[in-house]
Amino acid sequence: MTEHVADNKKARGVVGWVCNRYPVMEFLRAHMTEYYAPKNFNFWYFFGGFSLLVFAGQIISGIWLVMEYTPTADGSFGSVQHIMREVRYGWLIRFMHTTGASAFFAVVYLHMYRGLIYGSYKKPRELVWLVGMMIYALLLLEAFTGYVLPWGQMSYWGAAVITSFASAIPYIGNAILVWLRGGYGITGVTLHRFFSLHVIAIPLLLCILIFVHLVALHYVGSNNPDGIDIKEKKNKDGIPLDGIPFHPYYTVKDLFGIGVFLMVFTTVMFFAPTFHGIFLEADNFIAANPMVTPPEISPVWYMTPFYAILRAIPNKLLGLTMMAAAIALMFVLPWLDRSRVRSIRYKGMISKVAVLVFLISFIGLAYLGSQPVSPMHTFLARLLTLGYFAFFLLMPFYSKMEQTKRLPERVTE
Amino acid sequence: MKRYILALFIVIFSSQVWAAEGQFEHLVLSKAPVDHFDIESIKRGAKFFATTCMSCHTLKYLRYDKLAQEQGVIYDKMPLNVTKWPNDITPPDLSLEASVRGVDWIYTYLHSFYNDPSRPSGINNLLVPNTGMSNILGPYYGEQELVNDPGANGVYSHTIEWYGYLNLVHEGSMTPQDYDQLTIDITNFLAYASEPYYIDQHHIGWWVLGFLLIFTTMMYFLKKEYWKDVKKKD
Repeated sequence: MTEHVADNKKARGVVGWVCNRYPVMEFLRAHMTEYYAPKNFNFWYFFGGFSLLVFAGQIISGIWLVMEYTPTADGSFGSVQHIMREVRYGWLIRFMHTTGASAFFAVVYLHMYRGLIYGSYKKPRELVWLVGMMIYALLLLEAFTGYVLPWGQMSYWGAAVITSFASAIPYIGNAILVWLRGGYGITGVTLHRFFSLHVIAIPLLLCILIFVHLVALHYVGSNNPDGIDIKEKKNKDGIPLDGIPFHPYYTVKDLFGIGVFLMVFTTVMFFAPTFHGIFLEADNFIAANPMVTPPEISPVWYMTPFYAILRAIPNKLLGLTMMAAAIALMFVLPWLDRSRVRSIRYKGMISKVAVLVFLISFIGLAYLGSQPVSPMHTFLARLLTLGYFAFFLLMPFYSKMEQTKRLPERVTE
Repeated sequence: MKRYILALFIVIFSSQVWAAEGQFEHLVLSKAPVDHFDIESIKRGAKFFATTCMSCHTLKYLRYDKLAQEQGVIYDKMPLNVTKWPNDITPPDLSLEASVRGVDWIYTYLHSFYNDPSRPSGINNLLVPNTGMSNILGPYYGEQELVNDPGANGVYSHTIEWYGYLNLVHEGSMTPQDYDQLTIDITNFLAYASEPYYIDQHHIGWWVLGFLLIFTTMMYFLKKEYWKDVKKKD
């Protein structure tokens, strides 16, 4: 290692000049060419990289949108139409951003599911998971504040419903509500502050947290589908026997994955950007009107599981607490899982059934949250809420008592 | 007091905008044979829209549209000069109507007018009961009357399209075929007005997908080449 460093310091020209003043090569080695990742990454390991790609895309398209967007109650809706119609390729930039928002949640949910089934949150990766969860929570806020900006009917009434959650807090709820909105109702003031949060505060925090997420990951090393520690079996040079350098092996693999992902992404972006009203709701093509409440107010698909939990509980404060608890439980997952093994491959039948229950509950709640209220829907939502909470709250017991399978010595193909 | 006035306003206003359901429970929207790439149809629709519909409706977001310049139409000028509308009902702007309601809704709406002497305009509409729209299309399609109970005539089914409810009693200046073509043209034009970028979007989309297909194929073989070493190691 020191030899290489010496080589670079001897290098002439700009490279040498920089390398004598900044650890470029050391960085590339530590995180790319000499970062050893398990060689058995499967399909599920694509989604972290995709998340990073979509994040970059959101920042870039966002920069261009802000150039023409007007964050005022009078100008907002029209400025979005101005972008769509009169700005050159403005429609492309905006569809990149709106499709990107949904794609972000799609890949982040799959990324989180990967962590869930292979136990990537377990020791020593608790911090990787915690920081990841903070990113997810911020992402929800980013998506919510962003959805308000086009100032359509769903933007306005969505903001009205979601900020009104604050009023359920005892004693200080109403004061918080006014403080959040910057007035008694949703106005241009609310829009303007959400704009500020959406384009500066939250993206900046996201940048920092994504950086921390990666630093934490590279410090402890990546998990793998077998959930065993590749650092325990090393060759005489101290390189894990089952590890391969991230670059070039996973960079080329990810490039292929990115190609496939972009084909799906661009198909939606060019041919079905509203995704039949799921990514862009029809009512949001009507300018915000405080006088007319839309017949159905429902959040965008990535928030509907939590919305379904909220609606399933008859008491507003209790419903909000349950909704917050549903997210909070994901944070403490590393301390709920008491299993001796990480990966679902070596866990017992109860854990496998539990993951299935969780999947059905989460997807079912997502569907119910997008549908109008009916007695049958409410009943199902309550049942699935029970399934969701049971998965987390019973985990300390079933994960500890069940029989696990024997772990292999080395990673399997 | 203010709150009650507001509530009353919401009830009255929203009932006019949203009271589409209820009266004709079996009515379904007819599938509009929209072709986003049929420029001639869009142009015919634009011409009719500019000469007829624009006496009341605006298209305020279609300001600097190429097609309009070609046809010598200035969308944002005409009806905006009206300051006082009858009954204080301002005709809606239709720039985004196709995105809000869908093309099938527009196509069905244009077909669903029928005689109703109880209305000041003399007409009513299946999709929007007590529609505020005047009888501006009557001279073209003629006169349609409501078939009182479709079920009694043995044509009852769970879904009925507009023509199951309506009878053409008197032909206007257009044959039913020509009027249908006119409604298709208007629908095509409003679809265009809602998404003027549609043709570009689809054109570019195929090129991008083509590029990505080549890129992904190359990356697939590149990955395979690199990973030969990993497979060999075992």
